[in-house]
Amino acid sequence: MYHQDGEDVFVIDGHVHLWDASEENITHQGGEEFIQCFYDYHTTFTPEERQWDLDEEYRQYGAERMVTDLFENAAVDMAIFQPTYLTDFYDEGFNTTEQNAELALEYPERFVLNGSFDPRDGEPGLEYLEELHETYDLKGVKVYTAEWRGESKGWRLDDEEAFEFLEKCVELGIENIHPHKGPTIRPLNRDAFDVKDVDDAASSFPDLNFVVEHVGLPRLDDFCWIAGQEPNVYGGLAVAAPFAQNRPGKFSEIMSELLWWLGEDRLLFGSDYALWNPDWLVETVMEAELTPEHRAEYGVEWDIETKQKVMGENAAELYDIDLEERKRQFREDEITEAFGLEDHYAGEPAAADD
Amino acid sequence: MAGERPRRPTPAEPRRADVLEALEPVTDPELDRSIVDLEYVDSVEIGDDGSHVAVRITLPTAWCSPAFAWMMAVDARDAIEALPAVETATITLGEHMHEAEINRGVNDGLRFGEAFPDADGDVAGVRAELDEKARVARQYDAVEALLEAGFAPDQIVALRKRDLEEGGDEVVVYLHERAVGVFVPADPLERYLEKACETGVVSGPDDVLFRTPEGEPIAPDEFDLVHRRGRLARVNMSTQGGVCAGLHEARQQRLEESTDD
Repeated sequence: MYHQDGEDVFVIDGHVHLWDASEENITHQGGEEFIQCFYDYHTTFTPEERQWDLDEEYRQYGAERMVTDLFENAAVDMAIFQPTYLTDFYDEGFNTTEQNAELALEYPERFVLNGSFDPRDGEPGLEYLEELHETYDLKGVKVYTAEWRGESKGWRLDDEEAFEFLEKCVELGIENIHPHKGPTIRPLNRDAFDVKDVDDAASSFPDLNFVVEHVGLPRLDDFCWIAGQEPNVYGGLAVAAPFAQNRPGKFSEIMSELLWWLGEDRLLFGSDYALWNPDWLVETVMEAELTPEHRAEYGVEWDIETKQKVMGENAAELYDIDLEERKRQFREDEITEAFGLEDHYAGEPAAADD
Repeated sequence: MAGERPRRPTPAEPRRADVLEALEPVTDPELDRSIVDLEYVDSVEIGDDGSHVAVRITLPTAWCSPAFAWMMAVDARDAIEALPAVETATITLGEHMHEAEINRGVNDGLRFGEAFPDADGDVAGVRAELDEKARVARQYDAVEALLEAGFAPDQIVALRKRDLEEGGDEVVVYLHERAVGVFVPADPLERYLEKACETGVVSGPDDVLFRTPEGEPIAPDEFDLVHRRGRLARVNMSTQGGVCAGLHEARQQRLEESTDD
């Protein structure tokens, strides 16, 4: 848990992966380009002394290091796995539900495991989704509309086929849909990750929540406009968050826009681990401030109550997580014992006037 | 080259500076900023008689949208070929995952759909959408300049093209049937007008100058919201510019390191 101004901030990292981009797993040039592109993002926003080596530490880091990075080195209390299959690029997939399950099953209180679907898989895809749900009791799915599949270079969330899968989600009670709508990777002209397909999907499925990952960047304007009209659209801050590190003024501006258009109840923190490591990112975002000009212009605040919501409470609400109960559980769970975190969950901080 | 006298270009032959000047108006369509200012242009080579120019361009990532890359390459080619004395320009896009298709297509004068047969639409649609965003972002700057100069929202939404009169560094903006003229910095207004005309939302002298992102005239009571949307478009562009600049830097560093090895 993070502590600020005498308050506890329960941190749910809303966007993490356990990926494998080892050379042995790459089957397509796209797989190599993909991890190199990730690494460019990594080095662009990570403080120099905290950067990882591409081949030694970044292509594949394994379950053990992930646990240490999130819970020992960072103030993360829980994390949500967002799978990215990319099976045309990687032999065993880049970051599948099954791969993530390795850790999620070992520490079920600490991780939320999301599944995924691809409407191009048709009937077998629907069966796979059901099977995932039966095995892992999914509450959410991550969908990657720009994924290549043979000849196809992507799909849309407002396709008829996609709607069948969303109907299946309603039926199964998978309420949280996380479309990746971020920086581009899909080739060709109708450039992927266009956030506009979320609009129709969100209004057609009012019982589902659409957490648009990466707040639609580089289409923040389209995203905010859609979210302003659809109350079941949320913003995942992965990729926007690290602006706090090297462009604090820009972070202030982005957050001000988001808080103005969506409000403080519809934004979720995410590190995008291992793109960025929450060990520095959580602190950087918690310490970030809006500039006085932006506060005056937009009339919004990045104060402790707002941070508590964005860093954890909003995700807890979507995933039915009882934070008080978790804190009690975490007083003596395996992670707490392994990393000596007892103090974090010791209960109410002394009525400190610090 | 010892002993060899450098050949003086004839006045019509372009120099490096002329080529860069010609490339200045070519923009990264997503950022609405010059590819020269963004330092995407790696090298300029001018052939012996100046009739051929070769330019090499590198974008921030190998994953930059092929449609965006295509637009920049085509625009760069056309801008250079418009220079007097230049007959052909060769554009080489380096370090891009679709460099082969783009380089061949642009230099052989193909259409986008011919270079990318499985593309699901034409590049013109993408360009139109980005131009529209650039127009909205530029509108924000223009309206800010008018607000700064003391205009009220209902005056701003009522302005027509004929109410503007060029005057050097400043534009005269007329109010009350030309009874009053106010000086406003020219740059943001001219930049806006250029994009507004290009996108076709403003053409004739009687056309209302400022529009919603959808291209409609603005009702006075929606002024604030429309202006906020312009601000948002501006923030989006500069945010993406920040991402691209960072990636560009990271990539240059990685490429340099790998050359050093």
